[in-house]
Amino acid sequence: MFNPRDIIETLANNVRQTTSPFGIPKFMVNKWHKDVNLPEEGEYMLITGLMYQFTPFIEKSTQYLEKYEGTKMASLLKYAKYMPGYLSGIGLAMMTSGKEKKNAGQALKDIAFLLKKSKVDFGYRPDLDNYSGILLYDMGDQKGFVAHAKKVAKKLKDAGVKKIITVDPHTAYAIKELFPKYTGISFEVKSYFELLDFESKDLGLEVTIHDPCFFGRYLKLSDIPRKVLGNLGITEFKIRNQGEFTSCCGGPAESISPSLSNEIMEKRVEELKEPGKPIIAYCPICLGNLKKSGAKVEDLSTILARHI
Amino acid sequence: MSTINLDFAEELKEYSGDTALECFNCGTCAAICPLVHDNFPRRMIRYVQVGAREKILENSDELWRCLHCGLCTHTCPREADPGEIILGLKRFVVANWRRS
Ligand code: SF4
Ligand code: SF4
Repeated sequence: MFNPRDIIETLANNVRQTTSPFGIPKFMVNKWHKDVNLPEEGEYMLITGLMYQFTPFIEKSTQYLEKYEGTKMASLLKYAKYMPGYLSGIGLAMMTSGKEKKNAGQALKDIAFLLKKSKVDFGYRPDLDNYSGILLYDMGDQKGFVAHAKKVAKKLKDAGVKKIITVDPHTAYAIKELFPKYTGISFEVKSYFELLDFESKDLGLEVTIHDPCFFGRYLKLSDIPRKVLGNLGITEFKIRNQGEFTSCCGGPAESISPSLSNEIMEKRVEELKEPGKPIIAYCPICLGNLKKSGAKVEDLSTILARHI
Repeated sequence: MSTINLDFAEELKEYSGDTALECFNCGTCAAICPLVHDNFPRRMIRYVQVGAREKILENSDELWRCLHCGLCTHTCPREADPGEIILGLKRFVVANWRRS
């Protein structure tokens, strides 16, 4: 286990200096939209919160943390906070392969495609699409979170945004529940799958679903992806810990203790693999973490884009 | 022996809800928590109840093992909100570091 104080101060410092917890400049992280022709305005504004885009960098930094956990090197982490955020972030960006970065963007392209197919009127503006600060909130850096969230919320409000589409559970929770409480600014927030509307099909497929904690318990939205899949004839093989009683994938412990995170992930993967069906996740953190086990896990957007 | 701080509940109000007193120590949260670790989070809730401020600070690293997954809060029979108490304790410890 790393010293939480070193990790938190490094993340907080990065967010303060660069608005990204990993210190990677936004133009290097957020590229997916360049290949997609999206309008700048619409009834809704698509806000990805950059979580899908961060996953390859999280994976890379976890590989390093994993190597040093429990060694003398772990204590050197405290010096990371003296390194300018951009500098450490660009280093991390350079160590992460282009293929992985491209894969992470594919889910977002699929989501944009699904929304278009469902005739949702939405726009996208990269300048308004910022990280929500949720990791600072989860880590207990309340001051850092509130300062960051206020800036993000104000920018959206000043641009006249009222309705937002989010794509991951952490950003959805931040904007829907935490922003009104801690920034005083509220938006109408929908998760992309709440707006999908396709022609019915009878695919006759069966899958196992891993619900992320924030969609299953905190936001109570886990029945909606099931309806969307059901409409295409994709049914769920029910496992014991699902929906409101889902089990965590272990992802949130990645930066503090990669070994603890792996232990929890492996237990969860056993449960998910048991029925022998394809596994569907709908959170970039869960997806990245569960995939580490070598299990075949797909994002909800991927299976939907393939079959509609 | 650790000292008991009677003003601790008051101090914590800045960081967390005051649901800890609802807890009757049934242990459901510790049984269901994916960490399966040394009576966590129940032990921490107990420290809050009895005002064992120093014990929390001594064992503070443990708080960051919590995934904030919410399973304990969801299953607590007394609505003591153990997951949010742990988050509140993280905030308390961070503020404490930054003051020191
Ligand atoms: S489940 Fe609730 S009442 Fe039971 S020990 Fe945990 S916090 Fe206390
Ligand atoms: S929120 Fe934390 S303490 Fe509660 S069950 Fe999840 S990991 Fe355990």
